[in-house]
Amino acid sequence: MRWLRYLLWFATSACLLGCASQDVATETPQPPRSLADQYGPELSPQPLSRSVTPLEPYLDLGILLFDPGVSDMDRSPQGAVRRLESKLLARELRQVLVDSGEWGAVRILPEASYLTPVMIEAAIDYSDGRDLVVSVSASDALNRVWFEETLRYRAHAAAVDAGAGASSADFAPLFTHIHNALHQYWSQQTSSDRLAVIRAADIRYAQELAPEAFAGFLVEEAGQMRLARLPAANDPMLARVDRIRRQDYLFCDTIDEQFVALYEEVGPTYALWRLSSAEQADWLEHYEARVAAREAPSDAARFATMQAQYSAYRSFRMQEQELYELADAFDGEVEPRVLEADERVFTLTGTLTSQYAQWREILAQIFRLEQEPGAL
Amino acid sequence: MPLLRLLLLVSAALQLACTGAPAAPPDSSPQPIPDLSGHWEVDYGRSDSVQTQLNARFREIQRELRRRQDAIERGAHYQGVPLGDPDGLIALAQMAELITEPSLLEIRQTGREVRIKRENSFALICNVDESATGLKTTGLGQEQCWWDGQLLHFFLRLPDGLSIHHQFTRSADGRSLSQATSVSSPGVGTDFQIAQIFTRFDPAARGYRCTQTLSRGLVCTTERGEESEG
Repeated sequence: MRWLRYLLWFATSACLLGCASQDVATETPQPPRSLADQYGPELSPQPLSRSVTPLEPYLDLGILLFDPGVSDMDRSPQGAVRRLESKLLARELRQVLVDSGEWGAVRILPEASYLTPVMIEAAIDYSDGRDLVVSVSASDALNRVWFEETLRYRAHAAAVDAGAGASSADFAPLFTHIHNALHQYWSQQTSSDRLAVIRAADIRYAQELAPEAFAGFLVEEAGQMRLARLPAANDPMLARVDRIRRQDYLFCDTIDEQFVALYEEVGPTYALWRLSSAEQADWLEHYEARVAAREAPSDAARFATMQAQYSAYRSFRMQEQELYELADAFDGEVEPRVLEADERVFTLTGTLTSQYAQWREILAQIFRLEQEPGAL
Repeated sequence: MPLLRLLLLVSAALQLACTGAPAAPPDSSPQPIPDLSGHWEVDYGRSDSVQTQLNARFREIQRELRRRQDAIERGAHYQGVPLGDPDGLIALAQMAELITEPSLLEIRQTGREVRIKRENSFALICNVDESATGLKTTGLGQEQCWWDGQLLHFFLRLPDGLSIHHQFTRSADGRSLSQATSVSSPGVGTDFQIAQIFTRFDPAARGYRCTQTLSRGLVCTTERGEESEG
């Protein structure tokens, strides 16, 4: 019966091996696929470009709220964080452009508009707190694309920590790059070219309100616009358009105030999450390097090793969850705005984009009413 | 070879029994999953103490060593249970103490999500809609959760292999919640288990409610909604 004993031994061993190797999650956690492979090399920090003499006339810039890169239907915490980031990052870009002192007014807009001669659009392709990848483009009222790039930047823990404090500006090199690209294009334009862009924006804005009255001032050639003529400086309709535009600015300024409040409220937690993400990712890379170089058996059984790993994980998850909860609380929370125009008070409700659409419709109605008092 | 066939069948049945233990996520139990919602605080009188558990494990090791010694002295063959690494066992016990430190739980449960907020630690979140396996992987670790009848499982594995397995179950009368935690590491060769019993409490009865936040520290709110930070 010796063979029977061997068979029993084999069967039991097979079972025990099965038991030992069976686990809930047998995969070893894998680092994410290389971002360099997907999005190209990392951006090198550059100094902020400044002009020797001011680039007059000063150019107003519009920043469209960043595309979060997630669906509006995505109600996950990660989706809420992305939507929050789309606002926070737009504000960080605005701050860099304003602080450069090279531009006129820099406004954040919920929708593309000719309110400003140049519009910057950005979409978040990837963001994990440490690495940020955005696709950015800038175009002007003459339909010229100034630049179109995918930018990738990594904020390392030390840089995040040093720069952060309560709020972080650790992706500043990315925004500096955008400023520099804008600055390079604008500084290469002649004075008359610059004026043409600004005038074209005035006319295109006016055309949105009164298409017929302002038809023919711009002509399209090979997809780009060219100024054919200009309205008279004392054109009364142009003065009405200007008044409406100032009301449009009012909306943007109200949004900006809300964004400042949002940044103050969420900024510290967002900065902590970024710091924690950067620390954890750096730690993981060092850990992998140590494991790869390790000749001696793993010291995984030591309390210090276990504690370090668990504490790192716990800290990261706590930061992440707090940010998720905050982002979730702010997600979709848009305060109704009360704005005054034409001696009347209007209450706007709904999402930011829908409020802006309501406001623009009200302004268009006011414009039509002023033009033809019996029109409405 | 009917005997051989029998042995293979026994072996297969044993394998199935083994693999079925922690690895079988969603189960098709007809019983409705229990509602764990509420505020829970640890009942130290009914919960394991790490020190007691560790002493018990060392007594087991001592007994096992004695059995081995006796077998050697008798010249008999003895195949006992693996002893594991005593230093590693202490490390696991210390880890178990750290992991089971939260004494207050706040559980929110909806049809698709269970969120167990733990005092001074990260929340255990199980989204049954997310995927069939409830698996969440990051470079820092891998989490998995699932319902197994009345038991809610959370499993966490960290890069060096440290594994933490929590199992939550509610008593039939809904007054108690049991959390069984098992901590293991590949270098130790055994796991360390600890059971905690939680009982319901009403946070409003205290007149204030505190939440630990990273950015603002401990934020306490009175019943009237006034906030103070400390």
